[in-house]
Amino acid sequence: MSEPLLEIKNLYASVGDKEIIKNLNLTINKGEVHAIMGPNGAGKSSLSYILSGKDGYNVTNGSIMFKGEDLLALSTEERARNGLFLSMQYPTEIPGVAVSNFLKQSLNSILRFRGKQELDTIAFMKLLKQEASTLNINPEMLKRFVNVGFSGGEKKRFETLQMALLKPDFCILDEIDSGLDIDALKTVSEGVNSLRNNQNAFLVITHYQRLLEHIVPDVIHIFADGHIIKTGDKTLASELEKCGYTDFIKEDSQCQTLL
Amino acid sequence: MSDSSLIQNVDLFLDDKPAVFALRQKALNILNKTGFPSPKNESWKYENLSPLLNHNFLVSTDEHICGHDCCGHSSSFSPYIEIKFCHGKLHIEEYNTPQGITITSLPLALYEGEHKQYIFNSFNMEQHPFAALNGRYLEQGLCIQIDKNTRLKTPLHIKYNQNNCDNLQLNIHNLIIAEKNTNIDIIEEFTSNTSESYFINIVNEFYLKQDARVTHYKIQKENLAAYHIALNAVKVQNNATYKQYYLANGAKFSRNENLINLEQQEAQAEIYSAYTAKKNCLTDITTNINHKQPHTYSNQYAKAVLEDNAVAVFQGKIHILPNAVKTSGNQLHKALYLNDNASLNCKPELEIYADDVKCSHGASCGEIDKEQLFYLTSRGIGKQEAIQLLTSAHLNEIIALIPNEQIKDLFIS
Repeated sequence: MSEPLLEIKNLYASVGDKEIIKNLNLTINKGEVHAIMGPNGAGKSSLSYILSGKDGYNVTNGSIMFKGEDLLALSTEERARNGLFLSMQYPTEIPGVAVSNFLKQSLNSILRFRGKQELDTIAFMKLLKQEASTLNINPEMLKRFVNVGFSGGEKKRFETLQMALLKPDFCILDEIDSGLDIDALKTVSEGVNSLRNNQNAFLVITHYQRLLEHIVPDVIHIFADGHIIKTGDKTLASELEKCGYTDFIKEDSQCQTLL
Repeated sequence: MSDSSLIQNVDLFLDDKPAVFALRQKALNILNKTGFPSPKNESWKYENLSPLLNHNFLVSTDEHICGHDCCGHSSSFSPYIEIKFCHGKLHIEEYNTPQGITITSLPLALYEGEHKQYIFNSFNMEQHPFAALNGRYLEQGLCIQIDKNTRLKTPLHIKYNQNNCDNLQLNIHNLIIAEKNTNIDIIEEFTSNTSESYFINIVNEFYLKQDARVTHYKIQKENLAAYHIALNAVKVQNNATYKQYYLANGAKFSRNENLINLEQQEAQAEIYSAYTAKKNCLTDITTNINHKQPHTYSNQYAKAVLEDNAVAVFQGKIHILPNAVKTSGNQLHKALYLNDNASLNCKPELEIYADDVKCSHGASCGEIDKEQLFYLTSRGIGKQEAIQLLTSAHLNEIIALIPNEQIKDLFIS
């Protein structure tokens, strides 16, 4: 029997006056990888912000349970400490905050919350260098400021490095393929795949089928106008690739009837 | 006649030596004539001095040196040449100074006459009443002489340790004479070992001869009841460079004033400041740079973090004299507000009487970046810790400019 990690029920949410999520239902079990595909503006990134508790995104109705607890009652940092991770589409640049210092504070905040021994600088640097080399990350990058002057590929590799270090139970990958060349896409995907196990789960948000050839999902959801309009297995992605979103979303399209 | 309780009738060490007594008398006469500044004075328009002038800060005449063990001996592990002032009095112990540098207690240096030409010569006392007050009580301080062609590798670390000085005024006056082709790093560190109020009034006169390089580091970590007024008056000659790195965190009232005279061609001055103002504190950085000759250069860059009801004052004057062509003078101030109650008074003043010069000034202020805060908290870092990281990051840009790694660590800790 599969065990649910995340359960979203009848969710409605808005930014300001604009309703962006409308009656969303989604359950993700441990060990699963779900993909969400959909056109621009469908509310995919908004969903990732709602899950991580970003200011300005207001849930107006419905519930989100994470590991059996009410996720909406927690602050952003509490959600992260509980094992939720958002790999951002556009990771924020933070001039003046060194990568190693940031990662150490982040990891130790999470270890402290879980009642585990915090790492001292020496132990931390050893772990960091080890994880960085697995992801082909230049050690020079670790001396820089967070995301400052990183190329598109470096930013996504850095997000993957954080996942490897923090070992979250649930990762949302918001367009982790954007800004990546083929080699970087492979490295990042391999990094993500190596983190998959039967206790954690992933929600992969993307526009393109290409990523899903590298990170193969168990379930694909098509997202439009704030909710899921179709759910299927990985073959759904190739159907979508053929028809495009516009046709797919139309009620009477040929694509729909084919399915 | 000024009626502040800051002026008291006391006898000081070496009052019996006419050379020293005359200087004190001269300063008193000027102070009696000018009085203390009021908000009507353009350079003091943002401060309310009445709490300071009426506090009744006493001058201590119990001793003219500190011979106790009150602040311990210099650590033999210190990477610096350490000199200490305890409660405003020079702490006497054996100092191991390398060749090429002579450090003398100030009144003795004046009494012996050698350095008399330098005292009160880098500024006009009538325009600096607190420096005149300092002159009235001229007793504590150092005369630091760096001989020609001396390039000191070991920084000089002057520690001002404020203990046993509740409700006292501490007047300290240093002369720093860097002869031709010299190089020295001087660290001034101010700390409080009391939570009570005191008033430290310090004057540093720097003389940089041709090709001298003086890097002045000032770290101020004082209690939130303290008053701190400093004047750094600097004369910079041909191809000499004065650099200042200032870190301030604390003191109820703090004013760091720089008066820089770029006397000859290729003279340069750079002033970098990073400060945090919180509670009901006032932090003032006032800089006045006179470009007197062609090809002179100055740069001022300050970054501030403002919290609670703090008030910050940044006054930067660049004065370019008619013949000072091909000069460059820049100033920039960036502030980060942590709430709506803190305030900043930023006043750039550019007086340019020459053509063909490059000058700039700018000021910006902002709040904590919400996207950055979200990124940090989404990685499990608590909100307060994240704000702390971001405010340090704001100030780090200044600290990152410090060329000496060891001193950089001193700033960070």
